[in-house]
Amino acid sequence: MPYKILDKKELAMNEVMYKIHAPHVAKKVQPGQFVIVRAFPNGERIPLTPVTWDREEGWITLITFVRGKTTMRMANELKPGDEILNVAGPLGNPAPMEKFGRVLAIGLITGIVEVFPIARAWQEIGNDVTTLHVTPNPMIILKEDFENAVSRHIVEGFDLQPGWGMNEIAQELVKRATAKVRELLENEHFDMVLTVGPAGAQKAIFNVVKEFGIPMHADLHPIMVDATGMCGACRVTVGGEVKFACIDGPGFDAYKVDWDELIHRTGFYAPLERLALEHYLKQLQAQGGEQ
Amino acid sequence: MPRRKLIKERVPTPERPPEERIKDFKEVNLGYTFELAVREAERCLQCPYEYAPCIKGCPVHINIPGFISKLVEYRNDPDKAVKEALNVIWACNSLPATTGRVCPQEDQCEMNCVMGKVGDKINIGKLERFVADYAREKGIDEELLFEIIPKIEKKGQKVAIIGAGPAGLTAAGELAKLGYDVTIYEALHEPGGVLMYGIPEFRLPKEIVHKEIEKLRKLGVRILTDHVVGKTVTIEELLQEYDAVFIGSGAGTPRLVNAPGINLNGIYTANEFLTRVNLMKAYLFPEYDTPVYVGKKVIVIGAGNTAMDAARSARRFGAEVTIAYRRGEEDVSAREEEVEHAKEEGIKFVYFVNPVEFIGDENGKVKAVKFEKMRPLEERDARGKRKIVGTGEYITLEADTVIIAIGKHPNRLIINTPGLKVERGKIVVDENMMTSIPGVFAGGDAIRGEATVILAMGDGRKAAKAIHEYLTKKRQEKANA
Repeated sequence: MPYKILDKKELAMNEVMYKIHAPHVAKKVQPGQFVIVRAFPNGERIPLTPVTWDREEGWITLITFVRGKTTMRMANELKPGDEILNVAGPLGNPAPMEKFGRVLAIGLITGIVEVFPIARAWQEIGNDVTTLHVTPNPMIILKEDFENAVSRHIVEGFDLQPGWGMNEIAQELVKRATAKVRELLENEHFDMVLTVGPAGAQKAIFNVVKEFGIPMHADLHPIMVDATGMCGACRVTVGGEVKFACIDGPGFDAYKVDWDELIHRTGFYAPLERLALEHYLKQLQAQGGEQ
Repeated sequence: MPRRKLIKERVPTPERPPEERIKDFKEVNLGYTFELAVREAERCLQCPYEYAPCIKGCPVHINIPGFISKLVEYRNDPDKAVKEALNVIWACNSLPATTGRVCPQEDQCEMNCVMGKVGDKINIGKLERFVADYAREKGIDEELLFEIIPKIEKKGQKVAIIGAGPAGLTAAGELAKLGYDVTIYEALHEPGGVLMYGIPEFRLPKEIVHKEIEKLRKLGVRILTDHVVGKTVTIEELLQEYDAVFIGSGAGTPRLVNAPGINLNGIYTANEFLTRVNLMKAYLFPEYDTPVYVGKKVIVIGAGNTAMDAARSARRFGAEVTIAYRRGEEDVSAREEEVEHAKEEGIKFVYFVNPVEFIGDENGKVKAVKFEKMRPLEERDARGKRKIVGTGEYITLEADTVIIAIGKHPNRLIINTPGLKVERGKIVVDENMMTSIPGVFAGGDAIRGEATVILAMGDGRKAAKAIHEYLTKKRQEKANA
């Protein structure tokens, strides 16, 4: 069942927004839920989060971080007016909608896109929400949207140095995020923390939050295939029990998550992911490059 | 009936040799030619319809001697023979190319075949498959379809079907033929359920499933993929739009071994492994984008059909594969043909071992499985299998990939519907396949737990009849009001 791309924009370096006609999702989606997208006939299924939506007009927006074959191929090959083959959802459980009080909602790099619908809804129901976006400077997105939606939006940006790879970016991300979170928690009172982003950085933030004893809700990003609870690829250990993030999550109590296991599992396909990307880059080269 | 000579031996179907077939995912069994099919068909004793034990053994009660006799009767006109035979099969079964391949015939139609008393049983499955394949290749199925379609009388009532697996597809086909406006809600991007994600290409080519489903679309069945009932739409909402609902959502939630280390990297559920391989075609990576990791030493835990499918798939990636089962050889529940094929393909079997721990390396990757050795007791369980007990002795087998194939539960997204009566994870239905919610029917693995394709199809057919009766009453009430 193809879904039309109504609009596509490069919001920042490697950050691409797609506005997609998907009325079945738009009608039902709640903050915290996600969709599974398959863009090409020989493509894989990837989880993405609706950032905004219009129930009446029947569209959702998705923002992808161009980090591997599928997201790069989408960025290169899809144009407004084209169709995405499959958009399944909404999937997962909505984020809890409660009056926590003062909330610190943290998005790491593109994780901020998942924070947006949750933070906005929390603010709307009467929470005092501070959002924090930690990211390389060329990847700052949704700044104005956040400024209009929540009490306070902080951007902790950092410059990319020549020669940095993913590892160096991840290290800097963790350094900046933990320092900023520590500073905020030392100087202000918060009742709840939310994080979305790479498992390693989420774990590092959790270790800081734990010192202050503040409740923390983490949206997890394990590998997913069907995302309807039928395969268990996304299984995580929470409170000593095996949970499937797609139907039991994706949000969990950060104090109960087995972070090291999640980090191991998320990285399992890294070599094959690199191979897929290399294969695609070679194909592009054969076709005469990206232009 | 004319007296004829008994031909005791079954006409064999050609198969690709093991050393060739383990290098790819193409179909193992090549099926009958018309000539071979007629020779096999001639062996059938043509038991009368009311008595024929094969018909009783078939969950959808295909008139087996009826379709077989057409092959013999029109032996000089293959197209006519196949068309007549297909017409007989279609009266009861819309997916014969599939069932002819994946049914456990030895436990069903062929189980009581009279010929078995004097020789080999009739190869009913392969004959059914032949009829469907030949018809498809020659376009005879299309011809027949276009003769059926104009005769359908529209009822003006709508039925929603949840799940496009064998139960849902069968119910949809039957209801469409009866003139109902049918819409299937399917969570995945392709209809077919276990036929698409579970059963490998080398047993059931996906092209064939596509074509069988295409026929249903031509009958007017609408299929909405990417719709997850329970999330995209609820059963309560479906009931506002449709006159009846059928739940055929299957048993898709995998059961996991409750042992330390289950979340180590390299440990898959059979559902994940087979979904990657079959539905996502990970065996064609990187031409297809979905990756799968298969190591050098694979252990598959369990001994059902799913375990055989997973083991034989892993073998095709070049791995050394061992099936580890907690009971003995006589308790294996997979089809005989599949076990035979697995053995021919070099898969090893280890019996009476029960996993107690998965051992990982420093990177969180599985490297071995620790098993407790088991022994059988004389006592038998409810399914007639010998009970087993631990011996307190252990054995550790090396593995860099482990596939868990110990069974599945019905999907939680569906069974959490308010008002839907569920017992031990299975949807409860009455003798008319109706659930605790009026107008909502269910069948297949959603009510049985893990069973077979043909039992699910039998349920779909039975439910379609019950829905027809229910909606006929509704129409009459409306006319009288």
